Amino acid sequence: MTFPAYLFYIAKQMNRGELLGSLEHIILLALARLDGGAHGMIVRREIEERTGRNISIGAVYATLERLEAKGYVSSVTGEPTPERGGRAKRLFRVEAAGKRALQISEQTLRCMTAGLESRWEGI
Amino acid sequence: MRRNSPPAFACWLVESVLPGRYPEAMLGDLIEEYTLRAESTSRLTASRWFWSQACRTVPSMVWSSLRNRDGLISTSVAIGVYIVMGMLKFAADWTISKVVAPEQTTYVVLAPVVFLTTSAIGGCVAARIRRGATMFLALMVVITVAVLMELQVCTIPVPWWYQFGFLTLGPLAVIITPTLFGRLKATRNCHVNGPGTIAD
Repeated sequence: MTFPAYLFYIAKQMNRGELLGSLEHIILLALARLDGGAHGMIVRREIEERTGRNISIGAVYATLERLEAKGYVSSVTGEPTPERGGRAKRLFRVEAAGKRALQISEQTLRCMTAGLESRWEGI
Repeated sequence: MRRNSPPAFACWLVESVLPGRYPEAMLGDLIEEYTLRAESTSRLTASRWFWSQACRTVPSMVWSSLRNRDGLISTSVAIGVYIVMGMLKFAADWTISKVVAPEQTTYVVLAPVVFLTTSAIGGCVAARIRRGATMFLALMVVITVAVLMELQVCTIPVPWWYQFGFLTLGPLAVIITPTLFGRLKATRNCHVNGPGTIAD
């Protein structure tokens, strides 16, 4: 497949629902790394450790709720634990649609950044 | 044993006031992290971190809620309650100005009482219908008071703190009163006695 044809294919694949925002992208990637389900604070910590971005727990949950509404992640309630003040965890995991959206976003980014490295050398 | 209790008001803010689908899980995450931080650093540092998280969570959750269907329902509830509040306040103001106290000075004294009572009732009704609606209602009260202050609708000369009281105490009455009446129960089970135990 030629490069323009590939771009066309990607653009056609990515309908509006599959476009990921930057935080959505990062949170989906964090969940993909924490395979097997993770709760909000673990996701927040993973992002902070890897990127240095200190995002709020509210931003993480707001994004997770949005991703869940899109069908990209699913969640289950865990057992309440004493160290959480008797509150249950909400464990999130990436669904097949989320993995597909991640792949498409990665491919799009790769296509859009291809050939730009030489321009960035001077920056 | 040192008591590791996260700030109760911040707990209440996260669990009971903010819109969102998983407030309990979110607060649980914060308490878990707070306990770890309080042990590794100090209680003051952990409390500061807890407060910063709670405050930074407000815009995220409100904005997110405004963008989805839940937010639309909460906003609709808030608008409905706001209209009823307006009608209540109008009726009370009319009764005071025409029947109870026709003099302006008495009205200046009674107006805040009417305003705060109406706000408190509105907050309780909104919280009963939909938890997230109180935040939107409080925002609407702030905007209304600010607009009325800007338009200078009050012809009676009043000191600045009088108007400032309306601007701050009105929305606070909307948010806090449901808790006082036992509608919201965030502070319950909020105190943690250290890992493994819950304070009574």
